Amino acid sequence: MMKAYIQLTVSQLRVFSRNRQVLFWTLMFPVFLMVMLGSFVGGGGGVSYAGALINLDKSTQSIQLTDALLKLETVQFESDRTEEEALDALRNGELELVVIIPVGYGESLSAGISAAEIKAIYDQTKTMQSEVALLALSQTVDSLSKAIVQYEPVVVVKTEGIQSLQLEYIDFLVPGIVAMMIMSNNLNGVSGQIASWRERGILRRMQSTPLQASTFIAGQITARLVLNGLQATVVLLIASLIFDTQVNGSWALLMLFVILGTLTFMAIGFIIAGVAKSPESAGPIAGFISFPLLFLGGVFFPISNMPEVIQPYVKLLPISHLSTALRQVMNVGADLSVLWFDALLLGGWMIVAFIIASFTFKWE
Amino acid sequence: MKVLNQQTKPLTIGETIIDVDGLVKQYGSFTAVKGIHFQVKKGEVFGLLGPNGAGKTTTMEMIEGLRQPDGGTAKVAGYDTKTELRRVKEVIGVQLQSTSLFDLLTVKEILTMYASFYTHSIPVEPLLKRVLLEEKMNDRVKHLSGGQKQRLAIAMALVNDPQVVFLDEPTTGLDPQARRTLWDIILGLKEQGKTVVLSTHYMDEAHILCDRICLMDQGEIIALDTPRNLVKSLQSDSAIEFRLPELESLPESEKTNILSMLQSVEGVKSVDERKDTFILYTDLLQPSLIDLIKKAAESGINFTDLATRTATLEDVFIHMTGRSLREE
Repeated sequence: MMKAYIQLTVSQLRVFSRNRQVLFWTLMFPVFLMVMLGSFVGGGGGVSYAGALINLDKSTQSIQLTDALLKLETVQFESDRTEEEALDALRNGELELVVIIPVGYGESLSAGISAAEIKAIYDQTKTMQSEVALLALSQTVDSLSKAIVQYEPVVVVKTEGIQSLQLEYIDFLVPGIVAMMIMSNNLNGVSGQIASWRERGILRRMQSTPLQASTFIAGQITARLVLNGLQATVVLLIASLIFDTQVNGSWALLMLFVILGTLTFMAIGFIIAGVAKSPESAGPIAGFISFPLLFLGGVFFPISNMPEVIQPYVKLLPISHLSTALRQVMNVGADLSVLWFDALLLGGWMIVAFIIASFTFKWE
Repeated sequence: MKVLNQQTKPLTIGETIIDVDGLVKQYGSFTAVKGIHFQVKKGEVFGLLGPNGAGKTTTMEMIEGLRQPDGGTAKVAGYDTKTELRRVKEVIGVQLQSTSLFDLLTVKEILTMYASFYTHSIPVEPLLKRVLLEEKMNDRVKHLSGGQKQRLAIAMALVNDPQVVFLDEPTTGLDPQARRTLWDIILGLKEQGKTVVLSTHYMDEAHILCDRICLMDQGEIIALDTPRNLVKSLQSDSAIEFRLPELESLPESEKTNILSMLQSVEGVKSVDERKDTFILYTDLLQPSLIDLIKKAAESGINFTDLATRTATLEDVFIHMTGRSLREE
């Protein structure tokens, strides 16, 4: 029934395009989130940590070191706190690192008998942040001490590849936002619409015609793929205009994951529509599923920041793989040879969800 | 349609097009339809008349294949609704009691979409003209009035040029003007030779539209005949209706006396009683009325709300069930 399929797809697209309010807000929400989080959290300076610098020595040598440290981007040092204030701030979690240049630093450098020492205090419960901050610190100190002893390296490491990309929080955020949009639009959109059509008798009316459920579902899928593809493109274009984010990988692969994600979450939406007894209960059920996924699935924060106990479970979630895959394609330009597992896992979710959906789907 | 003609020869007017044989529907321990039998002939308007909950909608939906019967069979144009449902769906058109439509589509778009679901369909614009929606063709469904929405629902039921059209309470909730417009459209369908199965709880509607009426109550058929014959079965032309408000407070013996007094009124063939309302059926309206007033005065009875009228289908229903069509 080709003409029925085309008619259903076109009609659904008409409904989408005429439902201006829904269209506006489903697009507005991700864009708003992106702009808010992107402007405030991103701060224009990439992923950076806060540190305090306390110079107790005040020698020429120590000022040379503080100047070098203040230029660092990874750790934003401030030097106007006392030692006590700084340690308090570290305990409160305001700071990731406190560096103290002790009295006698300059003297011990000029004497050149033993290595001059500086003290770095960090919070060992924040492993990742403090490690990055410490690494930045050691690199600066290292290059400074090399300069002082006029050390000429004989072997150098030429860095290349992913490390050469200037990645900022917004680059992390935008793919996550696209993943979030796909998830919530389909979970809420499909379950709400189908449940309401069922209650209003629209599905029964269709059931009284020779129309087959598969044709109906195919039309729904096609229309939603078009909608989600367009919405994802709009969000990516806005991100590129405002924040200058890039798609380093192939657009085709990006769209493949948008499609996979749309299908997976549509199928879950159909399951919710089947389980929900009324359109009113479809919303809360969809929320119950999508809300935790937002925070667990690597949309706003990297999964590696989460407690290690839950990480293996989080990595089974479809949203985790969608956001990871979109991020890899956009940020690093990864191809399918890297992302095949994410594609496979999403595909697995999609198939299982569609099988369950076909059992739970009811016309009435 | 071509496919169908190869399989079955087209029926002529008067042949059986719907054959309902012992249909049963149960919802848990409640039996909504209790093994009913009837036949609908091609070209007739067949009415299912009964109060809410009589089983009209369930019966229709079992014939349409929307509900699986728990017993019995239904055949439409020779096709069994259980085993040949797809063929049944091609030859029927359905208007459901509570369908809401896609609000954001236009009249023409929604009709075109439904037309696409069938292998055979008729052009959309002449169809809209037939249901007087030509001018509303490009309007969105949400801007239509109740009557216009119902006419669109009927157009949707006609889009595949069906042999049988099912209309489930098409005029419920409409104003008198819109009801009459719809009646004209339904009578127009009959002229075209369509078979129409219509459910309603308005007896005047059933009387005007239907060739035959199937009177249903509590899942059973209590009478099936032409409206004329049904009214005739009362064997009386006129009804005298009145209330005795003080009846409830009277002792049982007094009530029996009143009833036998009423039965003795001149010309009265039968007396129906429900709650405090009495209906006397008679062929001799004037003598009965005079005698009633005389006898009432003699026995010291005070009646109120006295009315006389021609006997209707409502009376048939009351006579057979002791209840009114409008009661729940």
